[in-house]
Amino acid sequence: MAKPNKDSLKTLSFITYFIILFVFWFILSGYLKTLLLFFGVISVLFVFWMSYRAKALEEDSLPLKIILRLPFYWIWLFKEIFKSGITTTALIWNGKYSPQLITVKASQKNRTGIANYANAITLTPGTVTIEVDKKIFLVHALSKKLSEDLQTDDMNKVITDLDK
Amino acid sequence: MSYNFIEFITLILLAIGCFFILSGSLGLIKLPDVFSRIHAAGLIDTLGSGFIVLALIIYSGFSLLSLKLLLIPIFLIFTSPVTGHAIALFAHESGHKPKGKNKK
Repeated sequence: MAKPNKDSLKTLSFITYFIILFVFWFILSGYLKTLLLFFGVISVLFVFWMSYRAKALEEDSLPLKIILRLPFYWIWLFKEIFKSGITTTALIWNGKYSPQLITVKASQKNRTGIANYANAITLTPGTVTIEVDKKIFLVHALSKKLSEDLQTDDMNKVITDLDK
Repeated sequence: MSYNFIEFITLILLAIGCFFILSGSLGLIKLPDVFSRIHAAGLIDTLGSGFIVLALIIYSGFSLLSLKLLLIPIFLIFTSPVTGHAIALFAHESGHKPKGKNKK
């Protein structure tokens, strides 16, 4: 593929968004009759128009580049959630928690990446993002081990690499 | 034993999910302050509901129903951190201090 210009990328992301919406409609309804599929296309177009009007379709919010890497990232994220979930469960049962506040620096370039990182921190049990100040997060961790895991910066690197 | 294999796997996954939900509920009572209790709620949101939906997917077999079931954890993954963050941010801004030693 030659160097894609901005407009073609935008069209591509519109098409992807349309396909995602239609697949979502199909999973929820499960109809295969032509007339009902036609109604489905109409309702998807309506939602598409509404999100276009609400300016939800900016370049930033539909990053096409990461869609192929997303499944691998999710598998990795589930593994992390499971690991820190076990740690948190053990902390709850044996009572050796020592809550602490730490600050974490994010190195993502765009807003989607920063929101992704903050959500990933909150999603792993035992760490919660309290405040996002530009690129510095205030994080509450349940124990010293969990906060040290976060400060090794592994998660930050993985989410930054998503958007390369 | 009159269980077949799929029912056996389902039972084990349901038991694991119930264990995580029990731990989360215990944490909600046991942990000292708002911020720590969010961790316990997050445990229920991610691992508890995750394992139970996984068990239901395996039990129902692969069909449109299991795809619909798969939508539940996907929506939970997007919404549960937002609620947790909203609670934590509001508690922080209204002046709650986390208990325990604080390292800046």
